[in-house]
Amino acid sequence: MTAQTDAVIAGIERLKLDFLPYLPSSSIAPIIEHFRLKSGRTGAPVAFPISREEEGVGIAGGIALAGRRAAMLVQDNGFGNSLTALTTFAVAYNVPLLVLANTRGGLGEYNSMIHTFSAGVPAMLSAARIPAFLVDRRNSPDDWTGTIVEAYRHAEMTHRPVALLMDFWAPEPEVGK
Amino acid sequence: MKRIEALEAILPAIETVPVVVTCAATTRELASISDRPNYLYLLDSMGLAVSVATGLALALDGEPVDRVVVIEGDGSLLMNLNALATLGFLAPQKIVVVLLDNGVYGSTADVPTYTGKLDLAEMARSVGVAVSVASERSGLVDALDRAFAEPGPHFLHVRIEPGNATCPPYLPDPVALKVRFEAWLAGHVRAIRPPIAR
Repeated sequence: MTAQTDAVIAGIERLKLDFLPYLPSSSIAPIIEHFRLKSGRTGAPVAFPISREEEGVGIAGGIALAGRRAAMLVQDNGFGNSLTALTTFAVAYNVPLLVLANTRGGLGEYNSMIHTFSAGVPAMLSAARIPAFLVDRRNSPDDWTGTIVEAYRHAEMTHRPVALLMDFWAPEPEVGK
Repeated sequence: MKRIEALEAILPAIETVPVVVTCAATTRELASISDRPNYLYLLDSMGLAVSVATGLALALDGEPVDRVVVIEGDGSLLMNLNALATLGFLAPQKIVVVLLDNGVYGSTADVPTYTGKLDLAEMARSVGVAVSVASERSGLVDALDRAFAEPGPHFLHVRIEPGNATCPPYLPDPVALKVRFEAWLAGHVRAIRPPIAR
């Protein structure tokens, strides 16, 4: 577990979620595993897999309409799978929904193809009028945790979907130093 | 049975439960015969109705709401068939899917869907939900009665004729629909979670 992973877990726990739908990515797998093992226990959200981000928007939105708390934990290329659901449902109906998404484009990404999509995610979200915030190596773990809490609050207060892009890459220390 | 006749048949059962309604002609026809605050019309989110209803049913488990009904079409379900798999996996007991299957994309010139060859009821059975099949009014009403009496998830496969009733455009502000629906729900559940504290 990295400090960032622990920070995300702490942030999600502070949200007191009822439900946590997720789709995996290697960066967030330890977070998913943490909540999967605690799922449904007292004080822990019910964590469950979804098969595609699009349906996650519908499910998490339905939960929000019923007055319960949910956030969706996915990777950022899932915004491609969910753009129509986000815009025609969550944005159009003012549904508060926090999407926690690890980034795939950018530094440290080994898959050259995924840059093609992920590099454009911030601009795509902006065009869809979905506020997006970023945490990366320059943010302290406490800042990651606090930003998750404030991003959720932002979704609630503005009655809108909100994306928090989480860049887990950090430079490896030089050998011998 | 035409779509509007199927909708008229289920009206008595859906008066007091949350109902998620798929887009276009289904929304227009239901709104033309009964527009109620417990209906959440998804005006343009083709394929999302079962997913939204799944979320509602998960959230309303344990609440004094008998069922969450979703009125879906074959073309719309086929656009997000994942929703059926997830429904079977999560298996929220209160959900009742009413699939009005006319075999065509009824709001886009009646172009055929897959259901002339593929059976969505069999697909629903394969994910473990309770399936009923109806093609006329009495069978639909009976199936819906059973779905309200026994734990779900339930999937009612209703074969209907192609064709749309003549209805006026239905053009409300989606936010107004959402606020109306939330207000209705708030009056029927025990507790709405407050915003998280600072």
